[in-house]
Amino acid sequence: MTLQTRIRTIVGVFAIAFAVAFVTPAAAQSVNPTASSVNEEKLLKELNQISGRCTLPNQTACNIEIPANREWRDFQQVTLRWIAAISIVGVFALLVIFYLTRGMVKIESGRSGRTVTRFNGYERFVHWMTATCFIILALSGLNITFGKALLLPIMSPEAFTAISQWGKYFHNYLSFPFTIGTIMIFLMWIGGNIPNKTDIEWAKRGGGIVGKDHPPAYRFNGGQKMIYWIVVLGGAAVAISGYILMFPFYGTTVSGVQLAQIVHGIVAALFIAAMLGHIYIGTIGMEGAFEAMGSGEVDVNWAKEHHKLWLEEEMGKGSPRAKAQPAE
Amino acid sequence: MARMKFLCDADRCIECNACVTACKNEHEVPWGINRRRVVTINDGLPGERSVSMACMHCTDAPCAAVCPVNCFFTTADGVVLHSKDLCIGCGYCFYACPFGAPQYPRVGNFGSRGKMDKCTFCAGGPDPANTQANFTQYGTNRLAEGKLPLCAEMCSTKSLLAGDGDIIAKIYKERVAKRGYGSGAWGWKTAYRETIAG
Amino acid sequence: MLIKRTEREARRSQLAASLSVNSSGGMNRRTFLRRSGLAAGGLAAVGALPLAGARHAEAGPVPPAGAKIEIKRNICTHCSVGCTVVAEVANGVWIGQESGYESPINRGSHCAKGAAVRELVHGDRRLKYPMKLVNGQWTRVSWETAINEIGDKMQAIRAKSGPDSVYWLGSAKFSNEGAYLNRKFAAYWGTNNVDHQARICHSTTVTGVANTWGYGAQTNSYNDIRNSKTLIIMGGNPAEAHPVSLQHLLEGKENKRANFIVIEPRLTRTAAHATEYVRIRSGTDIPVAWGIMHHIFKNGWEDKEFIAQRVADMDLVRKEVEKWTPEEVERVTGVPGEQLARVAKMFATEKPSTLIWCMGATQHTVGTSNVRAFCNLLLATGNVGKVGTGANIFRGHCNVQGATDLGLDIGTLPLYYGLVPGAWAHWARVWETDLNWLKARFADEKMMGAVGIPSTRWFDAATLPKERVTQNDNIKAMMVFGHGGNTVTRMPKAKEGIEKLDLLVVADPHPTTWAALSERKDNTYLLPTGTQFECDGSRTASNRSLQWGEQIVKPIFESKNDYEVMYLLAKKLGFEKEMFKNIKVENNQPLAEDILREINRGGFSTGYSGQSPERLKAHMKHQDKFDLVTLRAAKDAPAEIAGDYYGLPWPCWGTPQIRHPGSHTLYNTNLHAKDGGGTFRARFGVERVVKTKVMEDGKEVEKEQRFNLLAEGSYSLGSELKDGYPEFTYGVLKKLGWDKDLTDAERATIEKIGGNNPDGVGWAIDLSGGIIRVTLEHGVMAYGNGKARAAAWNLPDPVPVHREPIYTPRPELVGKFPTYANAQRFRVPDIGFDVQKAAVDKGVAKQFPLVLTSGRLVEYEGGGEETRSNKWLAELQQDSFIEINPADASERGIRDGQWVWVSGAENARARVKALVTPRVGKGVTWMPFHFAGWFQGVDQRKNYPAGTDPIVLGESVNTVTTYGFDPATGMQEPKATLCQVAAA
Repeated sequence: MTLQTRIRTIVGVFAIAFAVAFVTPAAAQSVNPTASSVNEEKLLKELNQISGRCTLPNQTACNIEIPANREWRDFQQVTLRWIAAISIVGVFALLVIFYLTRGMVKIESGRSGRTVTRFNGYERFVHWMTATCFIILALSGLNITFGKALLLPIMSPEAFTAISQWGKYFHNYLSFPFTIGTIMIFLMWIGGNIPNKTDIEWAKRGGGIVGKDHPPAYRFNGGQKMIYWIVVLGGAAVAISGYILMFPFYGTTVSGVQLAQIVHGIVAALFIAAMLGHIYIGTIGMEGAFEAMGSGEVDVNWAKEHHKLWLEEEMGKGSPRAKAQPAE
Repeated sequence: MARMKFLCDADRCIECNACVTACKNEHEVPWGINRRRVVTINDGLPGERSVSMACMHCTDAPCAAVCPVNCFFTTADGVVLHSKDLCIGCGYCFYACPFGAPQYPRVGNFGSRGKMDKCTFCAGGPDPANTQANFTQYGTNRLAEGKLPLCAEMCSTKSLLAGDGDIIAKIYKERVAKRGYGSGAWGWKTAYRETIAG
Repeated sequence: MLIKRTEREARRSQLAASLSVNSSGGMNRRTFLRRSGLAAGGLAAVGALPLAGARHAEAGPVPPAGAKIEIKRNICTHCSVGCTVVAEVANGVWIGQESGYESPINRGSHCAKGAAVRELVHGDRRLKYPMKLVNGQWTRVSWETAINEIGDKMQAIRAKSGPDSVYWLGSAKFSNEGAYLNRKFAAYWGTNNVDHQARICHSTTVTGVANTWGYGAQTNSYNDIRNSKTLIIMGGNPAEAHPVSLQHLLEGKENKRANFIVIEPRLTRTAAHATEYVRIRSGTDIPVAWGIMHHIFKNGWEDKEFIAQRVADMDLVRKEVEKWTPEEVERVTGVPGEQLARVAKMFATEKPSTLIWCMGATQHTVGTSNVRAFCNLLLATGNVGKVGTGANIFRGHCNVQGATDLGLDIGTLPLYYGLVPGAWAHWARVWETDLNWLKARFADEKMMGAVGIPSTRWFDAATLPKERVTQNDNIKAMMVFGHGGNTVTRMPKAKEGIEKLDLLVVADPHPTTWAALSERKDNTYLLPTGTQFECDGSRTASNRSLQWGEQIVKPIFESKNDYEVMYLLAKKLGFEKEMFKNIKVENNQPLAEDILREINRGGFSTGYSGQSPERLKAHMKHQDKFDLVTLRAAKDAPAEIAGDYYGLPWPCWGTPQIRHPGSHTLYNTNLHAKDGGGTFRARFGVERVVKTKVMEDGKEVEKEQRFNLLAEGSYSLGSELKDGYPEFTYGVLKKLGWDKDLTDAERATIEKIGGNNPDGVGWAIDLSGGIIRVTLEHGVMAYGNGKARAAAWNLPDPVPVHREPIYTPRPELVGKFPTYANAQRFRVPDIGFDVQKAAVDKGVAKQFPLVLTSGRLVEYEGGGEETRSNKWLAELQQDSFIEINPADASERGIRDGQWVWVSGAENARARVKALVTPRVGKGVTWMPFHFAGWFQGVDQRKNYPAGTDPIVLGESVNTVTTYGFDPATGMQEPKATLCQVAAA
């Protein structure tokens, strides 16, 4: 419990206090504490919650009745589940349909045999650290929301608790490397991810994925920039809301924590959905894409098709990262 | 079948905290965990009232609804209990509870706050036997011995009532009729979706 | 925030162990559900249970397998309500506490303290063995060494400075037997410097009330308040100080739709339930009382018949009351006349009415006058001596009533016999000790009759120049048995006093402030004594009911009970054979029952003679047979209790054999004397003679006026004497021809006591109890049938007059209402007048503009060592604080919960947290008095022996409280002083 919340609570108490004091100005003349006693129904109507003074150091204990807390479960059990289910299952379904109709985007001109370095070891380390954390965080998070509906019926409560307990430990501890990874991603790729005119062109042409087009792009095309900003902003949102949940009541009330959970849940669900797309395009969705984060070396033809402007830049630097090596 | 409820008659409550220490005494609840507490509204002003609050053992309990591991269950007497063997200390029940009932051994969530602890209506844990292990986890099971929660039994002014909802509602109603005033059955609407007409 | 982790860790490892057991047992979801189904089956019957529930022998922590569970009954060791504590004991361990529904006093209820008493004998922070200071270090010693060294040092002080240099500070936490032994011990040591907490709580009540109608105690009972139609609580906050009493007060309020009036400077938790709250300025109780009476007399609401029959000198009061017009009352007290008119009308016309008071009334320089004014309010409206009426004085500690009764007091021997030669002779006869031997124990015969030094002044008697203390030498040794060091005002002075002592002995379950406050290096001993739960004995609740508590567990660690400690000390000092002549001692353990029997043998004056241990034990056994409102057992109850009032509330006349039922309400003429009825005690003679000099025919002549002090036309039910009558002696008995009703044995005893003058043997010293027995048979009271005194001519102010507190926020009123003149009182100088004058002259009220008053918290009691060491209680109040009004706080830039410095008018200061609240009015502050362990900002935790420091420490309000003493009793003035508050 922080000072801030304590003050807020107390200010609240006094707000009620003075309200009453002003209502009965002739207090000295006729003070009948029994007749003027507070009434639960009235308090709830006026303030939506009932708080007072208590002697415990944990001042959260001074809130005795917050009926609205009950309503959070509707979000937690219904709204969030629908949002998460629709977005995740929906994106997954779309990807399946897309894959079935479009198939893997091939390197049109075939592999050149020459590669160019797209991501160095450091970049790949950061990516995979963050990605690994993300996957575990996502799974353990999904378990909190869906586990009791999906997993509990097929295992013993003890086993499910053990899974959830470990999931919670992982979720809490891996949040730190995830946060660090997100910050590093933000810093190391911010240069290539500022939206510019090419993105408009890229977007107009549907990123090339719809149809068989190859709009020019620098190191990061519009889609990748979107992923970047989803990761950075989404990561920030889940991190901040997550830490509020991890250290509750330092500067927040119950409703603040509930809000944090709402943000955390929704952002995480959308984040997961977005990452499904990212994973798709980086793996089976596009030939040659995985190598960028796999070995870090991409085929020059792939680069030419998807990041023409970037490749030109790289070549123009005179010390081309492009290596005259045949691809195996 | 009884439906166990609490009712704090705020027009009798004097914030003596007997309920708080009776609970500590009966269940040897450690420092920092307060299964029951007393809060004073409009402190120091005419009309001030104190209310003793703990788990109200809600109808359709929100804590149970939001628990990600389903560790809650409701006994046939309407007492909402949970299993500390299943609890993972996530804190969701605290967020969903309108009465601030769930308590944790540790303040932060980092790592774990430990197993949630709350008022059991003196009904022990999932295993109703009064064994040492159950006592350490949940406290005693007075209901099984035909006794009611000690907080209410020891209430200095008989303000805190515990027992079958219909019976305690009747007692409260009679009191209000006799004395001509009543500030309400605190928490009943929120917990049980019902009120006691004064 | 204070969080103790060690214990939790321990518990968690147990928890982990139990978890593994459970999981290996393979409890899956199905067993989980099945078991809860089983639980439901077992509970099928619960729905039909009444609120009280069925009883079952097992509860609390699980008893070890095969252990037999015993139920033991004792009485809560905190306030004076007298709640029954039901303990479940297995293998000598107190494993659980149940609620004792059978007790008519508490019906199973407790407050925070009572519900947590089991912790006292867990004793995490108790003193575990005797200790002494060796060059500033606490060192463990054996009992033998401790007693030997203490005894030798006492003898050395006695030889050098005389017996009066050793001060016996006893306790309201003693059992009756312990209190009595302690008083007797002081007598055998040879001093009247023996006192206890009553000095600082209700000494003024005892003096004021006893001087009004005979006995200085609560006239009715907590239960009887259920009969009241109007109740005034003035200077008390029973919701926090006596929480279980509120059960009776609030149920009474509800059942009768009673007027519940609270007159107080603070809007307390009690005031929250009032139907009328009157906020007054601290220290103006007399003007408020007279202001109420002004309306009563003006409207003719007084009970004229009652006054005529049973009250003397009401006219003198009427004259004083006339001065207190509503305007003058409002000017001095701040209370609007209209509100007091309303209060007056309710109190005088919606009867029965009762007046309840506590330390808000008593702890003033005018404490005795305050309570006298209250008594007058009751007398004027005829609200004494009937059910639902009376002076319901709520005493503070669990046995402060008993300890007061048993003479743990500087001015009296047990049971109010005084210090006159006749009193000493009476007790010497009871003790079967040669009076001359006793005399030789004292410095001289004069000192044997001289009132001692009150507990509020012992440190002045230790620090003042020797010539200013009216005894042979300064106080050199303090023998403290169960008394906090932080409950007396002017703690900086007390610290100096402690440091000056040649010997300090603290016999207590805890080291207390005495051990931690000073920087003593040597000659300091701590003797671990058990609580009353570790001891057999009786205690007297505020309503005068005696309750027998049985030992729940043996004294824990190396503790010994009070009786044994006193026995060992007496043995060391060489008078144990004399002192315990009629008390059986086994293994150094005096038998509690025998001590009570000795009290019974001598306790006729106050009716402590009928409460034999057997009768008291029978009452505890049959608690459920006593009525909630009348406290009486029906005639068809078991023979050993039939017709008795619960706890045989004193006076329980005569010997146990005549089976007087006790007296539920004092002075109740509607009952026969044998049914607990009575009259006002004819204690002050037959008539008051006033000699005045008047000019007659140019010559000064002395005129004599005689005022009758015996009742007129009022007598108790069934009395054979239909008018007032004086106290009974053998001679009076003879005159009435009732002496023939005495048995031969009784007559022989009386004649033996009387020697040459058997006719002079009064009822109170008749060891046979014959005079009392015979008078009861004739329906009359042996103590006479007198009038209550509206004016008590032997007190400093016969009719109470308002006097401003020594440190008043209204210095302009001091000219008209000055405090008492300086005088040498109780062997020490009282310079209150000079202090008040200096404060006015120096403009202290400008420098310290806030009124400071003090009081209790529900979680703690007294000095608080015991309760602040109790983890279940300490968690609820972790910081010492000062209540300050939001307006005063914002003027000073103080936020709620912030640390502040409180500076007292005598320039000491205390660092506490601010509690910003409208409970206190503007210009008023309030502090609880239970804290200690910090002194003027310094944490003294290191001064406690390791492991015995209370969990919660804090500044005591008495660091900043100030000078001021009631001239009649030496009562301190912590309820009205001045301070300033600044952000720390």
